[in-house]
Amino acid sequence: MNAYSTICPGCNFGCGLYIRENGTIDLDFRKSSPANAGKLCRFGMSLPRLYKPVKSMVEGKETTPEEAAKEAARRISASKGSVAFLSLGNTTCEEVLAFQKLAVPYLCTGANFDALPKDVYLTLSVGIPYTEIEAAKHIVLFIDPYEQYPLTVRRLLSAKKKGAKITSVWWKDLPLADENIRPADISKLQLTKDSLVISDFHPLSDAEQVKSVLSLAKNAGAKVTFLKPFANSTGAYVLSKDAKQKSFAQLVEDINKGTVKTLFCLESDPSTLIPSETLSKLTNLIIQTGHASAGTAKANVVIAHEPLYRKKGTLINNEGRGQALGGAGTNGLEALGIIAGTKFEFDSLHDAVKKALGIQAVDEFLIPKYDRPAYGAIQAAAKPPEAKTTLVSVYNPFMWFGLPDDNDFVELNLNTVRALKLLKGGTLKIKSNGSTIEKKFKVAPVQDNILLTGNRFGIEKGSITPVEISR
Amino acid sequence: MSQDSQTIKTAHQIVMQKGEMYVGWSTKEDVRKRGGSGGLVTSMLAAALEKKLVDAVVVLKKMNEFEAVPIITSDVNEVLNSAGSLHSVPSNFAKLIANRNLKVALPAKGCDVRGIIEQGKRNAINLDNTFIVGLNCGGSMHPVVTREMLEVMYKIKPEDVHGEEIEKGKLIFETKDGKEHAITIDELEEKGYGRRESCRYCTIKIPNNADIACGNWGVTGDLAGKATFVEITSEKGAKLLQNAIDAGYIQVQKPDEKGVAARSKIKGVMEGLGKKWKDKVFVPMDNRLEYFRKELENCIDCGACKAVCPTCSCGDVSKCTEFHFRGDAYRMSMYHLVRFLHLADSCIGCGQCADVCPVDIPLTRLYRRFANPVQEQLKYEPGMDMRKPPFFEAKLEV
Repeated sequence: MNAYSTICPGCNFGCGLYIRENGTIDLDFRKSSPANAGKLCRFGMSLPRLYKPVKSMVEGKETTPEEAAKEAARRISASKGSVAFLSLGNTTCEEVLAFQKLAVPYLCTGANFDALPKDVYLTLSVGIPYTEIEAAKHIVLFIDPYEQYPLTVRRLLSAKKKGAKITSVWWKDLPLADENIRPADISKLQLTKDSLVISDFHPLSDAEQVKSVLSLAKNAGAKVTFLKPFANSTGAYVLSKDAKQKSFAQLVEDINKGTVKTLFCLESDPSTLIPSETLSKLTNLIIQTGHASAGTAKANVVIAHEPLYRKKGTLINNEGRGQALGGAGTNGLEALGIIAGTKFEFDSLHDAVKKALGIQAVDEFLIPKYDRPAYGAIQAAAKPPEAKTTLVSVYNPFMWFGLPDDNDFVELNLNTVRALKLLKGGTLKIKSNGSTIEKKFKVAPVQDNILLTGNRFGIEKGSITPVEISR
Repeated sequence: MSQDSQTIKTAHQIVMQKGEMYVGWSTKEDVRKRGGSGGLVTSMLAAALEKKLVDAVVVLKKMNEFEAVPIITSDVNEVLNSAGSLHSVPSNFAKLIANRNLKVALPAKGCDVRGIIEQGKRNAINLDNTFIVGLNCGGSMHPVVTREMLEVMYKIKPEDVHGEEIEKGKLIFETKDGKEHAITIDELEEKGYGRRESCRYCTIKIPNNADIACGNWGVTGDLAGKATFVEITSEKGAKLLQNAIDAGYIQVQKPDEKGVAARSKIKGVMEGLGKKWKDKVFVPMDNRLEYFRKELENCIDCGACKAVCPTCSCGDVSKCTEFHFRGDAYRMSMYHLVRFLHLADSCIGCGQCADVCPVDIPLTRLYRRFANPVQEQLKYEPGMDMRKPPFFEAKLEV
């Protein structure tokens, strides 16, 4: 029976767990893990479903990983000038460094740093230690921690036990919040230097909203921390700080324009981020990964290697904590070497990672010191939704990884239910851009005219979608 | 080690029987050094594998002083090299061996044994093929709490810890420089450290529900710390011990009367402490419904409490999940209500559910609020014998 000490890939919180292989994949709780004390969220508990075996393929025909990597190299070489490289994290820092060497012409880490001031790069990349959340006096949430980053909840409850006040700026009242402010009423928010603002930063983040959060914190002298949805996003961002990057929005635009014809994705499923009509414009979609996904089913070339939990290497969680994976696999590096026409040595890449972090050894109980320089004043122009009724997508790990969940419903408030005369146990019709879907509903303390969903229904236009609703 | 050649039992000299007590140790020097209390348990498990009494053994694969992962192995060397006693690894092995159809031997704390027996009643474990080596247990600690406790209470770095022991009501850590650091468990628990809450009120200290009950209580004189006190509690237990002697893995001798009395006294004191803690934790309360609703309002529907529960054998399709839909807007979810009902007669109070709850709901305390009165009224202690759970036998009066 093989047992691996590993990190959950569901987000960048850095939750430790064990994966056991014994014909099937089982998980066990790694109670000594400093980030999560062994506790796992709904997605973490679903990891055996995520780690579906994947096979190397070229145009639907099974091949060896080596042959798939060679084919990828040929296609990348033939598409010179129109190739983009995407990695959202989800893999080791050592692979990120190797990937960067390959991706010099067009590196995309899935963030939209271009739309933001340069001096906020590290503030967005590295969060604060979770112990600082527990020690905060006033916490302001621009996320739904229950749905999006569930392991944050216990840190917030711990802070609350110690006397912290929790303010939620969200479309729904949160059970742990002492004060619930709707996003449109942001002017009611009172921040001080004792406040800690928690938001998130991801490929589909509205840059104006991110700027608005940064600006609010800056003006009050409050701390701010951004959570991220992919394992090792922090590592990918920190190690790419000085690299020339293209934003995610630019990547989507370049594919649509036809200037990017070949997309190479490392441990990243583009089908959960990029509309299928855009992806269909690519000549070559190449995915290197350790597990099957909707993306691998669409890819022209799939280079399959060991899943994350069997890899050797380092991840950096949202606190900046270095975490060593318990596997021994380096097949991912070998595949990247074949594509790059070189051989990547794990040890030298690992030394480079340690050097970049300023550490002698990766120790999950020590958080390296990060320079999070103060940033200048920011002008923000975040706008509340204008439509009368809006469907708000609450991005969560199941959505980012395209994994089905028990959430085929929308949340809305009792006023809406009464106004539409909806029946208990019945459904609601939601119309957008000519498409109509029918969904179950859950009554929750949600803002008037807002529908919340943690699911993708196929009618969304970004995170905020104007809709019409009826019985 | 004191070895009186007149009393030491070696191969083929004796036939072990249920009800007998011995003091024993491993014949392998490296196992004696590495394993706790003379390495008898480790050697007994290795012998069971070596002599094909079982096909597999469950051991803790040690990662560091605070971390080990339970694995199933058929490799004798892996058993011999496995971790000794680790108080800060609060795992439960029942679910690990369930539904695997194994002929297996495994070490088990009281709560492991109870979980295994309950799985047996639910046909998820074949108890005839399961050799349960019970381990005396005064309680286990959460590793994250232990690290913090070392820094705050003991003023030592967790990385400097070399070993641990509980003796005479004190939790003792040995550091790499050979020094011992001791604080009473009472003092630690007053400050919120020490044992997990469920361990404090647990009253199964010597697992007589296992096939054989092992521990250091009752080992006296020169053998103190170097041998294990063994009580054979079933025919399987006798077979297991006899096999290890016959294989030359262990030696045993009869315990002295002083040791037997000391063991019984420690057991009594520990059980008494457990009962006191139970009264302290489960004080009567008003407005129970609001209390339960409030405690459960942060639930994120992860299902970890069910997955880890050593008495639950329902699998993916079960009443608690089938009657529950995340889109329901009940004030308290059907998932929890069904589980409260299911566990009222079956909860063994192991604390696993509270350990793994991602939003720190004190689930074991909530389950015990239902289970304590039900189990007392029905005079039923789950996992202590083969009696069917009373709710299995409940029939509707027509």
